[in-house]
Amino acid sequence: MFSQPLAHHQHHQSLAEADAYHGKSAETRHLKPGELSTGTTIMAVQFNGGVVLCADSRVSTGSYVANRASDKIAQLHDHIWCCRSGSAADTQALTDYVKHYLSQLAIETGRLPEVKVAAHLMRRLCYQNKDYLMAGVIVGGWDPVSNGAVYNIPLGGACIPMPFALGGSGSTFIYGLVDAEYKENMTKDEALALVRKAVSHAMARDGSSGGIIRTLVATEEGNVKEFISGNKLPYGPAGW
Amino acid sequence: MASSGSGYDLSSSTFSPDGRIFQVEYASRAVESSGAALGLRCADGIVLCVEKPMNKKMMVTKNTPAGRRIYAVDGKTGLALAGYPGDGRQVANRAREEAANYLETYGSEIPPDVLAARLSAYVHYFTLHGALRPFGCTALLAGYDAATQRHSLHMVEPSGSCFEYYAAAAGRGRQPARTEMEKLAVNPTRAAAAAASGGAGGVGGEEGMERGQQLISVAEGVRQLAKIVYTIRDSGGNGGSGASKDGPFEIEMSWLCEKTGWKHVGVPKDVMEEAVEWAKREIEAEGEEEDEDDDEEDGMEE
Amino acid sequence: MSLSLQSGGSSSRVSASSFSATGTGIVAAANAAGNQVTTRPITTGTSVLGIKYRNGVMLAADTLVSYGSLAKYKNARRLLPVNSRTLIGASGEYSDLQSISDLLIANALEDRCTADSLYEEDNTNEECAKEVWSYLRAVMYQRRNKMNPLWNDVIVAGFQQNPDGSTSDTPFLGTVDKIGTAYEDDMLATGFGGYIALPLMREKYRPDMEEGEARALLEDCLRILFYRDCRALNRVQIAKVTKEGGVLVSEPYELDTFWDYKGYVSTKAGMGTDGGW
Repeated sequence: MFSQPLAHHQHHQSLAEADAYHGKSAETRHLKPGELSTGTTIMAVQFNGGVVLCADSRVSTGSYVANRASDKIAQLHDHIWCCRSGSAADTQALTDYVKHYLSQLAIETGRLPEVKVAAHLMRRLCYQNKDYLMAGVIVGGWDPVSNGAVYNIPLGGACIPMPFALGGSGSTFIYGLVDAEYKENMTKDEALALVRKAVSHAMARDGSSGGIIRTLVATEEGNVKEFISGNKLPYGPAGW
Repeated sequence: MASSGSGYDLSSSTFSPDGRIFQVEYASRAVESSGAALGLRCADGIVLCVEKPMNKKMMVTKNTPAGRRIYAVDGKTGLALAGYPGDGRQVANRAREEAANYLETYGSEIPPDVLAARLSAYVHYFTLHGALRPFGCTALLAGYDAATQRHSLHMVEPSGSCFEYYAAAAGRGRQPARTEMEKLAVNPTRAAAAAASGGAGGVGGEEGMERGQQLISVAEGVRQLAKIVYTIRDSGGNGGSGASKDGPFEIEMSWLCEKTGWKHVGVPKDVMEEAVEWAKREIEAEGEEEDEDDDEEDGMEE
Repeated sequence: MSLSLQSGGSSSRVSASSFSATGTGIVAAANAAGNQVTTRPITTGTSVLGIKYRNGVMLAADTLVSYGSLAKYKNARRLLPVNSRTLIGASGEYSDLQSISDLLIANALEDRCTADSLYEEDNTNEECAKEVWSYLRAVMYQRRNKMNPLWNDVIVAGFQQNPDGSTSDTPFLGTVDKIGTAYEDDMLATGFGGYIALPLMREKYRPDMEEGEARALLEDCLRILFYRDCRALNRVQIAKVTKEGGVLVSEPYELDTFWDYKGYVSTKAGMGTDGGW
């Protein structure tokens, strides 16, 4: 049974077992009792000249909201960022390591590191320590070679370059929405509108996601952080 | 020799009173007696060339890896060596390790300047310890940086010093080789200055650089390096071709350029043969010109 | 085949009781020594198919990487060249496939750099497919003995090597699974393909198949896998190794599917019937 993919665990779970892990989704079930989780919705979209990253702000322990306005978008280097999901402790440690390696690399090479390199470092850490980590990370940013790139690094430590990436428990609710709304070669504003709409809809249906929406746009010119209040989310019209 | 070092030349861990490290200087001298290694950064790539004296008549040279002095470091980097071949192999292996390690760690190829810096740090380490002997070799590193789409040539010397060059030479005959290479259009700023100032003898007295002259291509670089090798071997007499006064020798050449997809590979044998033929003809023609000049002078004297 | 690892996994679950917090959603179980080991794949690819034909060997796979039942990555490449004349394809954990690929490519690069000659045409010491396959078998077997398997079933395709090191005319097709079992055959399939595609391939296979026939057969198999494997996709890649052309991997493309059978189009579950499925 250990060989079964994630979803099958849910299937084979008895009711009693399900109760014992009440409030935990497939992704957060592995957390230790009391461990903080960014049971999350995160997203990144590439556009011509950069990327936009987006995240909700809810951090929970079980079903208690430990922080309702957290920032899950962490800076790895000048133009490189990542969205964190999974254990808050694990992903914070991971980003700290990658940040450290990238700053050293930037000094040695005397140039801006590539997003590809940031993603590779993150993947190596996630892959080699997969047994001890609960981390799903999206690495995205701008560099002079790629002119903007997004990499998705899910639980096991695979690393997959993508034009857009979704992650966290809330992402499962919005794959259909994003598949339908995504277009190639979007402008920055179109990409921003897409991630805000998508994450709003995930937050509305995923109990582990919520709060406000934080976005970050990384381009050659720099980084622009914005947020949308929890009462001004682009959601609906259906509200029931 | 003993007097020149006067007791301060036994270990690289001790400076002489006038601030020299004799062991490092001796290591450089070890390189000077080796066959030359040349590198030329052209407009569309880099050419590496080594001159290999074949003094032992019974030596097997065909189809054997022994005696090779140009090494592949990774797919896009080559290393040409002058000096002790064994020391050179050690440096080449270290370069390979650094390149492979960088690729594994960062998932991207090591930039040539970073590789050169790491290699020079390695070579330099051997100049610091009393228990270590400095490397008796100089390495020319030709690399392509995919991120900046730029190719570069670096030279790492026994002291651990490392600089980037448009043209570099090490080993026996490096001075005349450098003089010859300075005449070639490989330095963009000097070439531009020469073009702007109206041709030869412009800024800095750029001999041989014609007005508006383009930087030379690797194809031309191969020919010029072949000519330089024959020139430095022939300097001092025995004009022409074939085995020079220094005895028989071979040329080993590699390049990385647009045409090879920036892969570092051997210069095709037919291209090399053609270059050698061209070089011999050039040298012969120049020799005849000189002879004519001599005749005229003789005539005037009469 | 997968027996020993899976039962190994569940028996170690007893000793995993100390990790009660992780409960049924076990990421890692413990072996006798108390070390944590990988016991399940997370990001997975499904079947890979391989077949020998007249001039070479061909592999086929779809481009889906699943995350449980979520079709998470629909454009992931699972057929990877490892050197100029060897190709691998793998099902199972995608991160493990990436690390296998990294390993083989690093080995190939080292071989190229330490080759006897600067001239590619002189160098015959590149690993042939059979060597890659043997090496992979050793790696996979060692990892499973360390109770930390690479969770993949891999197919290796290419050519045999002549005693002088040159590429022979004999194609090679072999497989290694996650526990280190390795064998060669004229046609191979991993995962679901072993149940669905392999019988079809056995029925249609001829040693003298033309490239077009081989490709058509593999495409038919992929299409049927798409119909019958919940973790399959109709976006696929085909790759071949030929003696002259070396390794060639196609870009991902989509297979046409057919749903217009009369019995599919006409309703079977109306009010007048006893239902259907």
